[in-house]
Amino acid sequence: MTVPPTTAEIIAIIAEEARIDPERLNPSATLASLDIASLDVVSVLFAVEDKYGVEIAVEDVTVCETLGQFVDLIMAKVGAA
Amino acid sequence: MTIRVAVTGMGCVSGLGQGLAANWSRTIEGHGAITAFALPRDGEPRLSGPAAPIRELDQSGLAVHFDRRAVGQIDPLTRFALVAATEAIEDAGLIGDPVLNRRTAILIGCGSGGNETFDGAYRRLYERGQTKVHPQTIPTAMISAPASQLAMLFGIHGPALTIASACASSAHALGEAMHMIRAGRADVVIAGGTEACLTLGSWVAWSSLGALATDTCRPFSIDRQGMVLGEGAAILVLEAWDHAVARGATIHGELIGYGATSDAAHITMPDQTGIEAAIRAAHADAGLPLDVPVLISSHGTGTRLNDATEAAAIRAVYGDALSESLVIATKSAHGHLIGGSGALEFLLGLKALQAGRAPAILNHVGDDPACDIPLALARSDIAYDHLVSNSFAFGGLNAVLIGRRA
Repeated sequence: MTVPPTTAEIIAIIAEEARIDPERLNPSATLASLDIASLDVVSVLFAVEDKYGVEIAVEDVTVCETLGQFVDLIMAKVGAA
Repeated sequence: MTIRVAVTGMGCVSGLGQGLAANWSRTIEGHGAITAFALPRDGEPRLSGPAAPIRELDQSGLAVHFDRRAVGQIDPLTRFALVAATEAIEDAGLIGDPVLNRRTAILIGCGSGGNETFDGAYRRLYERGQTKVHPQTIPTAMISAPASQLAMLFGIHGPALTIASACASSAHALGEAMHMIRAGRADVVIAGGTEACLTLGSWVAWSSLGALATDTCRPFSIDRQGMVLGEGAAILVLEAWDHAVARGATIHGELIGYGATSDAAHITMPDQTGIEAAIRAAHADAGLPLDVPVLISSHGTGTRLNDATEAAAIRAVYGDALSESLVIATKSAHGHLIGGSGALEFLLGLKALQAGRAPAILNHVGDDPACDIPLALARSDIAYDHLVSNSFAFGGLNAVLIGRRA
């Protein structure tokens, strides 16, 4: 069984895939305000799938407005696997 | 009157290191990059053997000019090209110059596309049984991605093209770029080549072909087994002579001739007639008589048939005059960069003319009677004004460039 990721690990993946400095990644900020486009979201989901073996559908993420919500959703999906 | 073509910028990255200075110093000192290597790079080795990999890449030079988000998702194929091109365009003093916007073209040679990206995508399908691949797979891995990314990052609005002619790609790119300038179609061309073929899928395919050496690359030597793969990029800034002079650019050398032929014979075997024709065509284009002593940067892959055929062609073209010339083979130092080789070898050859020193052919263990040409078996002082740089690709696609010392 895979060890559940920490929030910091998920943030690091987002920073890498969306090419944003990690210190800018404030959980309360909206994805839009961080310039995280839908293609970046897909890139993050692919990286999460590659690393943790958990497939997350893009449609599941459309409810996320803030970075915190996005991270929580990933944590929940990965943790539930 | 023919427009002369100046070399005003040079940049490269290979297993020898990052930047032309590092590549040249290791080449002339005889410190080759071929080493024991295994893939995948992280994890249980699936294939091992000699190769000339790039172990690390400093991208801080890119960060100076471009936002991380502007660079986007890129394959090593594009990353190598961007690093080399940034060095070359900085060297030429053209970063931000209006000529990039108006009268500049891009011609990049690649043998294949983004192998790492395709490998990764297809592993999902075939190895893990997944159904999707990353939505950026095609734009990241397409063979024209380096040319497009260069255009976007540097704001270059002229024609941006990719030339694929296997192991001669970047030599063809430089030659065709020279003709674009001669034809008045551009004042500046960012030209060269890149390859990122040290991935498991690509390496296994090359290995299956039986063309790879298991020991090392020994051009023109007895007991040579074959080629050794490298990776990287070499990019030049070619510029109309008067344009370069008018803006006070430093001119490193001149590209004065290009000969290109197709063997139309065999998909892997070289053909001496086609090779000879390309060398003769380059001399005719340059107006350089065949009896002028030259530095010859050979294609010199280290395969039995290639080296013997190239040697026979060189001897047939130059005849007795060959004794005053000298043949180098820098693939023995940086391995075979496939689409990147022709440009890297032209750069290193031009540096040799400038420095008045020819690098030794590495790993040579004895003369092969089938390769009876004047080889630089030791580092040598030279005083040639001209470089003849050979590239002969699979499929019989030949490109020969002639450079002149500035």
